[in-house]
Amino acid sequence: MADISSTYSESWFRIAQQRVSLRPHVNVIRQRFRGEQWYVLQDPFNNQFFRVRPEAYQFLIRLNRDRTIDSVWNEMFELDPDKAPGQDEVLRLLAQLYGANLLHSTLAPDSARLFERYTKRKQRERKAYLRSIMFARVPLIDPDNFLKRAMPLARLVISWFGLILWLGVIGTALKIAADNVDTLMEQTQGILAPDNLFLLYLALVIVKSLHEFGHAFACRRFGGEVHTMGVMFLLFTPIPYMDATSSWSFRSRWKRAFVASAGMIVELFVAAIATIVWIRTAPGTVHSLAYNMMFLASVSTLLFNINPLLRFDGYYILSDLLDIPNLHQRSTGLIKHLIEYHCFGYKKSVTTARSGKEAVWLFVFAIASWIYKIIIFATILFFIADKFLILGMIMAVVCVVAWICVPIYKLIVYLASSPKLDRTRARAIAIVCGFIVFWLIVLDLIPFPNHFRSPGVLQASQHSVVVADVAGIVEDVVTPNGAFVESGDVLYRLANKDLDFQIRTAESQLAETEAMQLMAMQHVTADLKPLESRAEATRQLLKRLYQSREDLAVRAKHSGLWLAPDLQDSIGTWLQRGNPVGQLVDESSFYFSAIVSQREASRLFSDEIMGSEIKLYGQTETTVPVSSTKVIPVEKRNLPSAAIGWAGGGEVAVDMQSQDGTVAVDPFFEVRAEVPMDAEALMIHGKGGRIRFELPPEPLLRQWVRKFRQLLQTRYGI
Amino acid sequence: MRTLTQEYVPCQIPEVKEPPKGLDGLVDNAIGRYRRRRGILAQFRRQAEHIDAMEEDWKFLSDQALQKHLCDFRDIFRRGGIQDELMLSKALAAIREAAGRVTGLRPFVVQLTGALALHNGMLAEMATGEGKTLTAALAAIVSGWTRRPCHVITVNDYLAKRDAEWFEEFYAYCGVSVGYVTSILKQEDRARGYAKDVTYTTSKEVVADFLRDRLKLGDQNHPTRRLISHHLFPHRQQAGLVMRGLHTAIVDEADSVLIDEAVTPLIISSSTNNNLLHQVYKQVWSIANSLERDSDYTIDIRYKEVTVQPSGRLKLQEQIHTLPERWRGASRPEELVEQVLVAKEFYTKNKQYVVQQNKVIIVDEFTGRMMENRKWRHGLHQAIEAKEGVPLSSVDQTLARMSFQRYFRLYKKLAGMTGTAHEAARELWHTYHLPTIRIPSNRPVIRKHLPDRMFPTASAKLEAIVAEVEKCHLNGQPVLVGTRNVATSQVLAKRLHAEGFKVSLLNALNDRQEAKIIAGAGAPGAITIATNMAGRGTDIHLGEGVAERGGLHVIATERHESGRIDRQLFGRSGRQGDPGSAVAYVSCDDELLQRFARKWMLELFRWSLKNHLPGARWIGKFVSWKVQGKAQKIAVKSRNSVLKMDTWLDEAVGFTGKSYY
Repeated sequence: MADISSTYSESWFRIAQQRVSLRPHVNVIRQRFRGEQWYVLQDPFNNQFFRVRPEAYQFLIRLNRDRTIDSVWNEMFELDPDKAPGQDEVLRLLAQLYGANLLHSTLAPDSARLFERYTKRKQRERKAYLRSIMFARVPLIDPDNFLKRAMPLARLVISWFGLILWLGVIGTALKIAADNVDTLMEQTQGILAPDNLFLLYLALVIVKSLHEFGHAFACRRFGGEVHTMGVMFLLFTPIPYMDATSSWSFRSRWKRAFVASAGMIVELFVAAIATIVWIRTAPGTVHSLAYNMMFLASVSTLLFNINPLLRFDGYYILSDLLDIPNLHQRSTGLIKHLIEYHCFGYKKSVTTARSGKEAVWLFVFAIASWIYKIIIFATILFFIADKFLILGMIMAVVCVVAWICVPIYKLIVYLASSPKLDRTRARAIAIVCGFIVFWLIVLDLIPFPNHFRSPGVLQASQHSVVVADVAGIVEDVVTPNGAFVESGDVLYRLANKDLDFQIRTAESQLAETEAMQLMAMQHVTADLKPLESRAEATRQLLKRLYQSREDLAVRAKHSGLWLAPDLQDSIGTWLQRGNPVGQLVDESSFYFSAIVSQREASRLFSDEIMGSEIKLYGQTETTVPVSSTKVIPVEKRNLPSAAIGWAGGGEVAVDMQSQDGTVAVDPFFEVRAEVPMDAEALMIHGKGGRIRFELPPEPLLRQWVRKFRQLLQTRYGI
Repeated sequence: MRTLTQEYVPCQIPEVKEPPKGLDGLVDNAIGRYRRRRGILAQFRRQAEHIDAMEEDWKFLSDQALQKHLCDFRDIFRRGGIQDELMLSKALAAIREAAGRVTGLRPFVVQLTGALALHNGMLAEMATGEGKTLTAALAAIVSGWTRRPCHVITVNDYLAKRDAEWFEEFYAYCGVSVGYVTSILKQEDRARGYAKDVTYTTSKEVVADFLRDRLKLGDQNHPTRRLISHHLFPHRQQAGLVMRGLHTAIVDEADSVLIDEAVTPLIISSSTNNNLLHQVYKQVWSIANSLERDSDYTIDIRYKEVTVQPSGRLKLQEQIHTLPERWRGASRPEELVEQVLVAKEFYTKNKQYVVQQNKVIIVDEFTGRMMENRKWRHGLHQAIEAKEGVPLSSVDQTLARMSFQRYFRLYKKLAGMTGTAHEAARELWHTYHLPTIRIPSNRPVIRKHLPDRMFPTASAKLEAIVAEVEKCHLNGQPVLVGTRNVATSQVLAKRLHAEGFKVSLLNALNDRQEAKIIAGAGAPGAITIATNMAGRGTDIHLGEGVAERGGLHVIATERHESGRIDRQLFGRSGRQGDPGSAVAYVSCDDELLQRFARKWMLELFRWSLKNHLPGARWIGKFVSWKVQGKAQKIAVKSRNSVLKMDTWLDEAVGFTGKSYY
């Protein structure tokens, strides 16, 4: 189709002799955007808007039933040949106005065509409805009369007085929240508990209704009409909505922004009231409801409504404040223009930005909203898939189709048949293919460093837990805690009266038996044999008892550091047999015991480990090199240290039933990494850390696919 | 004046449906493929042979009895009752007998097959010289019997008149009235022509008449509305329509009418005195003349576009005071300058137009004929007039416009014939829902198609052509040299004249002698130079003893954008089993190559030709193929965009009521 700027159009004759005018009910509002004059045409019947430039508006107001379009155009051209819109421009303008039903023609309209247009529009609407099924809207009532009647109240509230009240209540609530921050946080945990879901939803409905009424009142307060109110099925959850689009006709952008933010203002107010109610009620339904409302009204406002990257209130506020209408559309338009103009060489492409500054805004917005959209949808997807796998999968398929397949199809159609690319099609296709090939090469052919990390603890290669072999009262700590001992040194001494007594008893028995032996030798030789065995038994017992007495002085079994920090305090107390007393740690060499989960383990067995290094907690700046690693090919469940497990604040899930928190939920493999002694890090037995295994380099794409599969496997067992 | 009820029919025009898109388009394509499958031909062929076998039934009937039978058939067909295969066969057998008796031409089985295809609303591809005119007449009679308007569309006025007069007796014999409409006819004569059962006319006339009728109807485009208004205001003047509705169209040279010419919509305009830009062009021309190519503006030869560069803009600003005040704005003068530069760079005298009696007259690109009443769109015509220094004509105001694509889709039954269609079968189906069927020729074509001759420069090519013409002439073989435009034909004629040959020159400037020149073109040793005028529909009969010397030799001095047009020219020789030969000359300076070939490709070709490399021939073939493909692609695009633009306009400016103008 012809160039926009051309003065004369071949199709002009189609409209030249027609007499048309704007429909009498059309409202015209003058607005300024970024210092530029615009006229907004509003159709009050369906609340649709249409923005035109002043030159076009000058043309439109000259149209009336008594003049032909041609004569108006000629007049415009006489008046200001340079600024007057070209014939093509007029044609397009009138076509758009006609399409928007803003044009009145003296000719009876072609009813067949009208009907055709109606069917097409219905079809489009149905398609749009299906496409936005996640945000489907069902209009129900017209609240305008109610709002009008309630206007005195709105006037009262939307005022300086209202502002002071609002600030006061918000301030009070903030104070309460700050004072009770612990309780608040604690209750957050139960917010998604099944028994709370109903209350949560109830709170949602109340909060969102008030939110919507906030918009409606604000809009009505400045003269905009609000005619539609209904239910929106946001992700199939019915919540109220209201149509306050008539605020777009407000001349002041501050008013527009205020209407857009009115919902949030109300919500924050509700949150504040709920906070006050919450602190003043005892646990019960009202208390819980207040808490839920507080939570929703504040969190949802902060997360969703104020966020300009989603198309909620924040978006419209930003759009008004930046003075860039249709921010979203224009930002995508700008990206498209940049690609078409610079990459595809379509030099007729026109930028959607009116200034360099605006271009920057649009560009940043486009990129940010794109990334944000993907993140938020992925989060929602995983969230839903966690609860309902099938539904999540269906949604994932829909998303893949809508966001990957359809755009690819559109891209192909665009490349193959867009008239814009007629002259540079080869170049455009080459660039797109080149782009794809480039990334395929980068992602699928060029190997990238490949590694994974596992938690673990540092352990001395020789270490033993000193356990009391005999029971007794701690009498004396011979070697102080933290001292270095050689093998055989006495560590501590126990006293055991019972043992002494037993020894004495045994000694007496032995003496008695020996005496009886002598007697028997003389009198009853037949008794000699049993007596001999008894003596022998007693001797054995005595030997054991002596050994036990000997053991009361506990000796180091190997050299090392004697660690028994609590022992000094337990002098004079009874020590059960088998109780751990302290540790002997030989710090001459260490190894790192790493916990490798099942899913990573296969790579340990299949791939060669190229190298690995350890970072100890608290010493992240120094890396500990690893001299060699050894995979212990047995599945284990017992952690080497509780510090790795959840119970000890680590990251491995442990069975909460187990006493000491060292039994892992999932079996794992242990990998022992030898740590050289000359490492710079401070080695302490039992120190937690993470080991990084370096695997043979692999292209990124394959790494990602594996990670994605592992994610699916662990989360959904697929 | 006919009554209102009679006008009811022409008022009632069906909706034009858009060609389907997307999935629907795929399905539609598949249907098209099915509709033009091979089996159809066998079916027609069988029926035609059956008709042929019925010859004995009619052969011995007296004229009177035959005519009575024909009248009976007419009544049956007019009642629209029994029209089964057998009835049609019988009727065609009778018509065939009548043709033999009246015209002396007895239709062959091939022609009967073609007539059946036409009757079934298909496009019959028949080799040139197979008697397409007679084939059309057979089908037209069957259609004419129904009294529903049947238009036989020919390529030019000459053929319309000739065919209508030639077959008048035959039609009358069969009980069908025939008339013709040509451009020179007055309104009443036109109405008389259209009132006949069968009307011979050209596409331009028929579309123009249709549009004029629409204009007369004004906003009363619905028959019911018209009826009511007539009863309300009985004294109001009636429109006085020329046509009596659209039903059947049989289009001769269908690819030319439906495809090649479909790019330019037909425009009805009236001249206006009051216009804004009329006088400004002289000044703009002098400004544009001061700009230099490449430095002040660049040209895109392929798309015929000019872009003014910054330095050119500066020069324009310096001279802007010479323009009338209203044109001194920022953007408008540049628009004008660009337009004038387009006229300067891409429109050449005796190529796209000729100058006669101080007037610029457009030469039709495809038929090579002058189009007296047509003008280029807004301002371009004036720009060219300024360039030629002739008085500027007024800017015409468009009253109505219609693309041929749209118009021909209005017919209930569209059928066509051509020598060259299969390349365009897809497009024909897509746009017109016209399935193509290829009918084998009656006698094998023994025309020798010699391989293309290639030259690095235009002058070398010219020399070779002269040498070849001389050779044939001395040999006693008639030669037809086809050129693409008037200028080339003149250069060549001058050159041959200088060599001392007697040359007949047929181009837009001396089209009055057309019949005479064509009649003599087959004489021994005749040398005829012709533009595309000799391309279609002309029948060159061979003179005495020419067949023994190899028949007519056709030389194409350039290749056309479409291979179909080349083949049309070649088809002038070797008609109906006559001997003949054809050859195309190609040089690197040809406009086609300059415009559509990539630079490196062209240079490679030129270099290989200059150095007589053995692969030059293959490179040349490749370049020709590539270039024609590219040109076709662009042409298809532009035809589609015409269609799209029409549809968009209908949608967009629906407030203007019906859109058939």
